[in-house]
Amino acid sequence: MNEKQRYIEMLVRRIFIGAIIVLFGSCELPPRNENITRHDLGTDFDSVDIVNEEYVMITTAVTMPMYVNHDQAAFKRWGKKMNVKVSILGPADWDVPAQINTIEEVIGTHPTGLLINGTDPAIAQVINKAVAAGIPTVVYDSDIPNSKRHAFLGTDWYEIGKMQGEEMVKLIAGKGKVAYMGILGLTNMEQGFLGLLDVLKKYPEIEVVGKYDDKANVEEAARITSDILAAHPDIAGICGFDSNSGPGIALAVREAGKTGKIKITTVDWEPEHLQLLKDGVIQMLAGQKRELFTWYGAQFLYDMVHRTNPLAQNDAKAGITSVPYIINTGLLKITPENVDQFIKR
Amino acid sequence: MASLLLDDISKQFPGVKALSNVSMEIQAGEIHALCGENGAGKSTLMNILSGNLQPDGGRILLNDKEVLLHNPQEAFENGIAIVYQHLSLVDSLSVAENIFANLQPRNRYGIIQFNTLYEKTNALLRKLKLFDINPRTLVAKLSPAEKQMVEIAKALSKDPSILILDEPTASLTDRETKTLFEIIQTLKTNGVSIIYISHRLNEIFLLSDRVSILKDGQYQGTFDSKGLTKETLINKMVGRELKILKTSSSKNDKVLLEVKNISGAKFKDISLVVHQGEIVGLAGLMGAGRTEIARAVFGMDEIKSGEVRLRNKPFHPRHPAAAIRDGVGYVTEERKNLGLFPGMSIQDNVVAAGLNRIMPSGYYNTEKVKQLATTAKEKLGVVSYTLKQPVINLSGGNQQKVMLAKWLLTNPDVLIVDEPTHGIDVGAKSEIYQILKSLAEEGKGILIISSELPELIGLCDKIIVIKNGKVAGELSGDKKTEEQIIKLAT
Amino acid sequence: MIQKILEERVYSLGILLVITALITSAVFPGTFPTFENFSQILLNLSIDTIVAVGMMLLLISGAFDLSVGSIVAFTGCLTAYLMHFFNIPVPIALAAGLASAFLIGWVNGYLIAYQNINPMIQTLAMMGIVRGCALLVSGSGIQNLPYWFNAIGQSKLLGVQMPIWYMLATVFAFTFLFNKTIFFRRYYYIGGNEKAADLSGIQVKKMKMTGFIITAVLAGFAGILLSSRLGAALPTMGRGLELRVITAVILGGATLSGGFGKIPGALLGALFMGLISNIMVIARVSGYWQDIILGLILIGTLWVDKYLQKEYAGVV
Repeated sequence: MNEKQRYIEMLVRRIFIGAIIVLFGSCELPPRNENITRHDLGTDFDSVDIVNEEYVMITTAVTMPMYVNHDQAAFKRWGKKMNVKVSILGPADWDVPAQINTIEEVIGTHPTGLLINGTDPAIAQVINKAVAAGIPTVVYDSDIPNSKRHAFLGTDWYEIGKMQGEEMVKLIAGKGKVAYMGILGLTNMEQGFLGLLDVLKKYPEIEVVGKYDDKANVEEAARITSDILAAHPDIAGICGFDSNSGPGIALAVREAGKTGKIKITTVDWEPEHLQLLKDGVIQMLAGQKRELFTWYGAQFLYDMVHRTNPLAQNDAKAGITSVPYIINTGLLKITPENVDQFIKR
Repeated sequence: MASLLLDDISKQFPGVKALSNVSMEIQAGEIHALCGENGAGKSTLMNILSGNLQPDGGRILLNDKEVLLHNPQEAFENGIAIVYQHLSLVDSLSVAENIFANLQPRNRYGIIQFNTLYEKTNALLRKLKLFDINPRTLVAKLSPAEKQMVEIAKALSKDPSILILDEPTASLTDRETKTLFEIIQTLKTNGVSIIYISHRLNEIFLLSDRVSILKDGQYQGTFDSKGLTKETLINKMVGRELKILKTSSSKNDKVLLEVKNISGAKFKDISLVVHQGEIVGLAGLMGAGRTEIARAVFGMDEIKSGEVRLRNKPFHPRHPAAAIRDGVGYVTEERKNLGLFPGMSIQDNVVAAGLNRIMPSGYYNTEKVKQLATTAKEKLGVVSYTLKQPVINLSGGNQQKVMLAKWLLTNPDVLIVDEPTHGIDVGAKSEIYQILKSLAEEGKGILIISSELPELIGLCDKIIVIKNGKVAGELSGDKKTEEQIIKLAT
Repeated sequence: MIQKILEERVYSLGILLVITALITSAVFPGTFPTFENFSQILLNLSIDTIVAVGMMLLLISGAFDLSVGSIVAFTGCLTAYLMHFFNIPVPIALAAGLASAFLIGWVNGYLIAYQNINPMIQTLAMMGIVRGCALLVSGSGIQNLPYWFNAIGQSKLLGVQMPIWYMLATVFAFTFLFNKTIFFRRYYYIGGNEKAADLSGIQVKKMKMTGFIITAVLAGFAGILLSSRLGAALPTMGRGLELRVITAVILGGATLSGGFGKIPGALLGALFMGLISNIMVIARVSGYWQDIILGLILIGTLWVDKYLQKEYAGVV
């Protein structure tokens, strides 16, 4: 009896171990990273639902005013004009993994087209998944170079930095101390920093005194600025890279009574920014044409599924897409000369 | 001038009848002392008068008019102020803000006028002859005695017609006590009625006009202080029906626990010996240092000098875990705060201290726990529906038994028991006594800390009286009387 | 019977989950009740759940840790950094990542348990410090991680993504530990009454420190898993995760005062939140509403619970 029990126990154990080995043997590894060729880009959209047409935009920080007032407003306007359903999804905070999760969940619901804010290179995989599922996918704002997205519209952040750098050089006549701030750790912003530094380093009389993280927060930007003013009373100019940098810097400079003496260049053209420029606190705004990102992005999606401009007998079989591959919408340079044109009445 | 009449006041707590049909009268402008042992119901009565508790039955008449005191605010509006035994001050605020808590002088925009506040406080403090206290000082920086005086000032700031003082001299020096008595006399001449609660009998005779006595929640009568002797007073306070069977001692010569000249934060030079089968009592006033000695022996607090030996081997646990391993248990005071896991089941509570001993493999065996808890429950007579019942729903007596069960599962040789019958009913008390007796008969050494003198006298082979952190005397045999203990302790 | 179910959050939440899922299936028959969607929901909440198991442990013991989100970011970034810039082999980088999490947990636990620093303040400070370190290490994020590192989070077993298996394994392991070992049961006592636990011979300080270490290591594991799944390490990973996880764990039956909660509750709480957010994606409810709805559900659950407890308090 005892013998038998032991035998059964042993048998069970062996089967168990065997099962585990088989289980792990059946482990399915992810595909190796292959290089993307143009051929992969043609997608057959036959399965796309154009009866219940719906275009979905997925971003992160969906409540950010700049996104709401520009990207989302234009996208909604487009939906109304084309008389198709448009939806805006994504986490309320800046949370890239959550954006990825949302995209994954949306893929399962097979929308007609996906318009994705290119927040981080890490979303490449899920974009590829969407493309593989036969969904037309357009990326806007920042490109995701390693993805199979069908089209991209956006601004070159390096250019934003460069434009700020060149204007700053002009404003401070090529010499003096300069500081800059933004959200550290974001790919596009780091590109912008690079563009700025590439210009500034050509001027040996310009000293870059620091790179600061204002955490996309007005109070933080103001606090950093007053610290900079204390440490470097002779600071000549400050550059900002996120939406809240400008108002924060301006606040501290104004409070220090150095309006106009310290030159400020920054990004975005919300009403607040424009007013500060008009008041002479900010000297230049590097603005994006964000409305164009989502308007034309949506239009590209529409044109893909509706085959508006067929280029071959069958674009998909030919391995091509019938919309532009990369669009640079260019920048707005807003200065005291043209600011009145941007202020809405 | 105000007189106060309590008519047939009763108050029931889960498991205890704290007050039964208490009627008494406080005359205008008198100093009325309230006496009774711990748990006699004094604090409950005072909490009812100050609006913290509502009586289950009875009426309160103020100047012959019935008043309802639903909260402290209403009591205060009726001119009743109380000075708590446990300080009610906020350490992080100034003396002035504590005294005029929520009553700070304000201008019409609601902004506190600090200058007026400080002036008012200064005037009040001067009236109380407290010249050393600055209204701007933070309470945290005051000595315990100064805090007590501020507490009194706070009560007086409301201009009460009836002032209740609950053990006001517990933390005062002789000089401060004298000042306080002068203040009380002044208040009396101003027509304030004073209810004075104290354990210090000398003070009662010195100060009061009349004395009322409570015992086990029952009113024992009111007497003129002049015609009363100390002996009668003690007799009225402690004489009770509850008899503890005086069985023969089970003590033998084997020494289990030996404490030699230990000193710690709140006690000095303490020595005591507990033999096998012996029950040793630690008597003394609240705050005399008894609990601190127990905690130090048990490894919770630091022993600065001296030696403890267990079964003739050095015993200096660095944590209760080590003490438990070596066979020492400590049934703490303050059941809800220190002893029980209130939201957890009886079963979980019972095994809490014995986990390692019961299940040395480290695996939690639900069946075994259930079985042990059932046995313990039956053995100690815990009354409950199921073992899963949270202990917070049990009566005080049953909670105490759960705690005892918890410690018995660690199988200790020496068991320290701190206030084992505090706030539990008479029936449960005698059950607890039986359990302790039978443990001693099994050969365990037991050290009891208690403020209930009859139980110490009935249970203990010898009683060690602690006063101000030092041994004031040791009583055994016929010398174990309440009078002797009180004499040594005060 | 009904009382029992309503009293035990694991059951009541389970029933609520099933009902919600059934209703949603009826409303969105084409998109909701599919294998892909369900496995997507589980995949999306796997990281949160692994952290939630640790958080449940802490809440049972009466503490919580706000730095877990930052630990997720830091360990992911550190591991990626070592592999990407120093070509350190995958297993060693993993060990280093987990060791860093261990160290963070140790510092948290030591200061809270032995130096009596308030857990909220300690872990709040640590949250900032560790997030800063993650930024220092990774800059704007590290891409192109080694294939075998990505395989940890991107492989499938029986058609189900690995993170789901890791999550289930963690939940099962800790459920077993909490039911079957004395060591973990002690956390209930500590949460039930810390002083009484100490006086009952439970080494509260040591246990608390261990609790913070376990939580940090689980968060570290989650961080490695997340960056493996993303194929990238971002310094912004795990932002707001701490509050999300605490919400899930409280939904799952824990209380801030400690002593209550069961490990499966962490999974169910996270599952409930995952389900709600999935339903909102499928129903195309804008992200504005997500936080509002989750907040309302949390308050609603706790309020109903209090009501039921009052209702049945007398009839235990």
